[in-house]
Amino acid sequence: MNEENQSLTDGQNTGLKDAQTSALVAASAIIIFSAFYWFAQIQSVRELLELAYG
Amino acid sequence: MSELIYNFAVWVDDTPWSAMLHESYYMYNWVESTHVLTLMISLGMLFLIDLRMLGWAFPDVPASKIADRLNIPMMVGFTVMFITGILLFYAVPVRSVQSVWFRIKMVLLVGCAINAYLFHKRMNESVSSWDNEAKAPQRIRNGAMLSLGFWTVVVICGRFIAYDWFDCDYPQSAFIEFVAGCVDGQTRF
Amino acid sequence: MPTSILGPYFRTIVTVSVIAAALVFSFTYARNGVYVEIQPLFEWMETTWFGYVGKTWGAAFATIQAGHLIGLAVLGGCVLVSDGRLLGVVLTDVPHRIVVDRADAVFRWALATLLVTGVFMACGVAMKIYYLPVYWYKMLGLACGILFHYYVRRPLVAHELGAINPIVLKMTAIASILVWFLVAATGRWIGFSG
Repeated sequence: MNEENQSLTDGQNTGLKDAQTSALVAASAIIIFSAFYWFAQIQSVRELLELAYG
Repeated sequence: MSELIYNFAVWVDDTPWSAMLHESYYMYNWVESTHVLTLMISLGMLFLIDLRMLGWAFPDVPASKIADRLNIPMMVGFTVMFITGILLFYAVPVRSVQSVWFRIKMVLLVGCAINAYLFHKRMNESVSSWDNEAKAPQRIRNGAMLSLGFWTVVVICGRFIAYDWFDCDYPQSAFIEFVAGCVDGQTRF
Repeated sequence: MPTSILGPYFRTIVTVSVIAAALVFSFTYARNGVYVEIQPLFEWMETTWFGYVGKTWGAAFATIQAGHLIGLAVLGGCVLVSDGRLLGVVLTDVPHRIVVDRADAVFRWALATLLVTGVFMACGVAMKIYYLPVYWYKMLGLACGILFHYYVRRPLVAHELGAINPIVLKMTAIASILVWFLVAATGRWIGFSG
């Protein structure tokens, strides 16, 4: 019985670690992509406005 | 009355900032996008509150908790929507005041405000007796349904404003001309 | 527990693989090949009943657009409430599991509404959006959002909140808000383009 509980807890821990690592990877990718995307968008608008108005 | 509104709109249209905002591709689009995207905060929260009262969302969370906690972000969203809405009107005043859809939207917004006031009043009076129920009492549910219906039509009207089906510079029926407040000899749009 | 050949870190390996595949696809000629291949699909979309109605009946198109906006509002509400709870900003006195699960039940309907109305709208202006980069950004964001929500975020928040690393939890919530905001903002920009 104890062994069963132990293996269940181990399984849950591994599951949590897996879910956390995948979340960390995916969230980092989205945050980094968003930062690049919005920076590029704002930069392109600034450049266009500079071309138009100097 | 229509002439008075038209003259007011022309006066607004003549202010330099109105033309600048209207002619600014990025600024106008940023303001309009903010107006539309703030739906996610304002109407998003409002619809969740309404759906809670109808028993379709968060049925096991006390109704008062949902209404209280979501009220602040909802009001922040509505404030941003209100400010950007005024800016949009400021950018295109003449066409807006003579738009059937804009007029219906404004009337409905007044309806929404009255409904919200009555809804909160009724809810505060009785919430302690049904706070943990999955569904609110019929009277509150009616208010929630009305709120959902009003706001849905407000969104539809808001979307329709962009279309020129009933614009005054096209020949329209007498009814449409009356509802839109078309003024004879108007010179601008 | 997954006992596949990929071992206990199955989900992580799949996540990394999907991100790598997306990057390779986006920054190599593979994308160009697929882009040309799918053009007939967009041409066909315009010939469907949806495409016909969308193009010829302005009022129907605008009403569906309004439905799309309402779906967006509800989806935004669910995301903000659910992620706001994970960030400890809203409904902090309600157990996170209840907030996340109940918000998810509504999120599902909102997403379905967005997809159905979105397909209708896409059919009406298929060849316009085919040539718009911002449309493809939106599709990329949408695919990321759906995969992230169902494959990464949901399995994570199924665990006890206290057991999850708080930084990972907050990053997940922020990423979720960012990805759905990207989808909404790029969607709005489609209307200004072309």
